[in-house]
Amino acid sequence: MKQPSKTMVLAALVPLCALIFGVVITSFFIMLTGVSPFSAFRVLISGAFGTSGKVWPLLITLGQATPLILTGLAAMYSFRVGIFCIAQEGQYVFGAIVAAWLGVALSLPPWLHILVVMAASMIAGGIYGLIPAFLKVKLGVNEIISSIMLNSIAVLVLEYMVAFPLRADQGQKAQSAVLSRDIWLPQFVQGSRWGISFIIAISLAVFAYFHIWKTPKGYELRMVGQAKRFARYGGIKADPTILKTLFLSGMIAGLAGSMEILGNYHRIMTGFSSGLGFDGLSVALLGQSHPFGVVIVAILLSGIRQGAQLGLQISLQVPRELGGVLIAMVILFIAAENVYRPLLDKLYDIINNRLTLIKRKHNVKEVDHV
Amino acid sequence: MFDFLNIFTINVISSSIRLATPIILAALGAAMCNKAGVLNLAIDGKMLIGAFTAIVATYFYRNYTSIGIAHPVLATYLGVFTAMIVGGAFGFFFAWMHIKYKVHLVILAIAINMLALEVTVYLMRVLFKQAGTWSHPSIVQLPSLDAAWISSIPLIGRFLTGYNFIVYFSWVIAIALTIMMYKTRFGRYIQAVGENIEAAEAAGISVKRVQYFALVFSGMLAGMAGAFLSVGHLTLFTRDMSSGRGWIGNAAALFGFNSAQGSFLAALFFGFADGIALRLQNVTNLPPYIVQLMPNILTIVILAIVSYRGKIRELKRTQQ
Repeated sequence: MKQPSKTMVLAALVPLCALIFGVVITSFFIMLTGVSPFSAFRVLISGAFGTSGKVWPLLITLGQATPLILTGLAAMYSFRVGIFCIAQEGQYVFGAIVAAWLGVALSLPPWLHILVVMAASMIAGGIYGLIPAFLKVKLGVNEIISSIMLNSIAVLVLEYMVAFPLRADQGQKAQSAVLSRDIWLPQFVQGSRWGISFIIAISLAVFAYFHIWKTPKGYELRMVGQAKRFARYGGIKADPTILKTLFLSGMIAGLAGSMEILGNYHRIMTGFSSGLGFDGLSVALLGQSHPFGVVIVAILLSGIRQGAQLGLQISLQVPRELGGVLIAMVILFIAAENVYRPLLDKLYDIINNRLTLIKRKHNVKEVDHV
Repeated sequence: MFDFLNIFTINVISSSIRLATPIILAALGAAMCNKAGVLNLAIDGKMLIGAFTAIVATYFYRNYTSIGIAHPVLATYLGVFTAMIVGGAFGFFFAWMHIKYKVHLVILAIAINMLALEVTVYLMRVLFKQAGTWSHPSIVQLPSLDAAWISSIPLIGRFLTGYNFIVYFSWVIAIALTIMMYKTRFGRYIQAVGENIEAAEAAGISVKRVQYFALVFSGMLAGMAGAFLSVGHLTLFTRDMSSGRGWIGNAAALFGFNSAQGSFLAALFFGFADGIALRLQNVTNLPPYIVQLMPNILTIVILAIVSYRGKIRELKRTQQ
C-alpha cells in the first residue's frame, strides 16, 4: 500500500489543529454565558447536521452552503491562476441584480426565462471579474485594491437599484417585485432552501476538478498560477489565460447570485449581500484551493453558522455570533500555521521514525523464517 | 435649481468634515502601512473593535471613584485612549504575526475583520443583553471644543470650530506626518522602504522597525477612528458600526498616492461625497448613491493611470 506522504499528512493535520484551537478558544466565549461548552457544541452539531424534525437541519445547511460553494469555487479559480482577486462579493451582487431585473422585465416561456436570466447573470458576473483582471494584466493595478473598490461600487449600485429603478412599492423597505412563481427554482424539501441549485453547485465543483487537473487548459492555468515566467517560457500565454480564468470565476460568482434570487429570495432587497463573497474567499482558503475541499468547507462553515443560529441561540440563548467567532478563529489559526507547524513537523518525524523501526523489526523476522 | 443650491450649507460642510474624520484617520494609517510595504486591510475590523472598546471602557470608567476621576467627560476621554491602546495592540499582533511568522497579511485581515464583526456583537449580547444597538444614559459624548477667536475669523471661521478633539487631532496628525515624512530621518527611512524594500534593507535601514511602527500606528489611529464613531459622533454602538469606512480609508490612501497630505485630502473628498449624498437624500429626491459612487470610480481610474505610468517607466528602464 502506498504510504501517504509527509506533505499530505500535514495538509490534513493543519486544518484539524486549527479547528481544535478554534473550538478551545470559542469554549471560553461560551463559558462567558454560563453554558457548558460540551452541551453547546452538541447542540451546535445537531442544529447543523441533525436529521430530525419536519425540515432536517442538515438540509437547511446544504441549502445555505450552495451559494458559498459557488463563491468558493470562484475564489479558487482566481487563486489557482495566481491572482488574489477578492471581488466575488461584487460579482455575486451584480449577478443577483441582473437576475432580479430580468426576472421581472422579460416575459418568456419559464424554462427559457430561467436559462436567459442565469446566462445574463453569469455574463454580468464575468464582466465584473474581467475588470480587475484587465487592470492587473494590462496596467499592473493591484487586484486586491481594485476588487475592494469594485465591491463597494457593487453594493452602492445595489442600493440604488432597489431604491429606484427596481423598487416594487413605496413601502418601508427598498426591495424589488417578487418574481413570478413559474421561474422559481424548485426546492427538494419545502422551506429548506435545498434545491436544484445545490446539484448545479456540486456539478460545477466536479467540473472544476476535471477542468483544472485533467485538461490541457487546466494545466496551463495552474502553470500560470505557479510560475508565470516558466509558463511563458513553455509557450503558454499568461495574460489571456488570466483573463479567461477570471471571466470564468466571475461567471460562477454571478451564477451564485442568480440562483439565490431564483431559488431562494425571489426578489432583491437592500442589504442583500451579507459578506457572502468574503465567506467564499475564506472557503477557498480553508479548502486549500481544491474544488472538493471547497465543497466540504462550505458545508462545514454554513453548518456552523446554521447550528449557531438554530441550535445555540434558540435553545441555549448563546448568541448566534458564536458561529462566526469560531469560523474567524479557524481562519486565524490556518493563517498562523507557521507558528505551530514546526511542532507538527517534529511530531510527525518522531512518529514516523517509530513506525519505520517497528516495520523494520517485522521485516527482519520475516527474513529469518525464510 | 434652488434645490441644488440648497445642498451647500454650512451644515453640509461641517457634517462632511465629521463624516470625513474616521476616513482621514484610517487613510493616514493605511498610507503609512502601504509605504512600509505591509498592506493593512484590517483597518475596518480594528475600527470596529475601537468603537466597541471605547464605549464599553467609557461605561466602566464612568463611576471609577477610587482615584477621584468620577467625571463623565474624563471617562469618555479615557475611553478613547483605551480604544487607541487596544487598536495599537491589534496592530502589534498583526506585525508580529507577519514579520516573525510570515503570516499572509490579507488572510489575517480577513480573519480579524470577521472576528471583530462577530465578537463585538457577541459581547454586546452577552454583557448588555442587546442585539442590535447598545447605549447607556450615563455615557457622555466627547465634548465639542469651541474657540471664540477662531469662529470670529471671517468666511472660514465657522467651519473650523465646534468639533470634538478627535477631529482636530486628525488634522494635527496629518500635518505632523507630512512634516515627519520630509523632515526627519525616520520619515526618510519610511520613504525609502516605500520606494524599494530590498534597497532600503541593503542600505542598512531596519525594515522590520518601520513595519512594526506602521502597523501599530495605523492600529492606534483605527482604534481612535472607531472611538469617534461610538463616543464622538453618537453615544451608542451598533452592529457593524464601521460599515466599510476602513475600506474607504484604504481607498483614500491609494487615491492620495500614499502620502500623508494626499490621503488627508482624498479622505476629505470621500467625506464630502458622503455629506453631500446625505444632504441630497434630505433635500431632493435625487439618488444619493451616484455621489457616493464618484470617489470609488475615480479611485479606480486614478489607480489605473498611476499604475500605467509606472509600467511605462519600467518598460523604458528595461529597454535602456
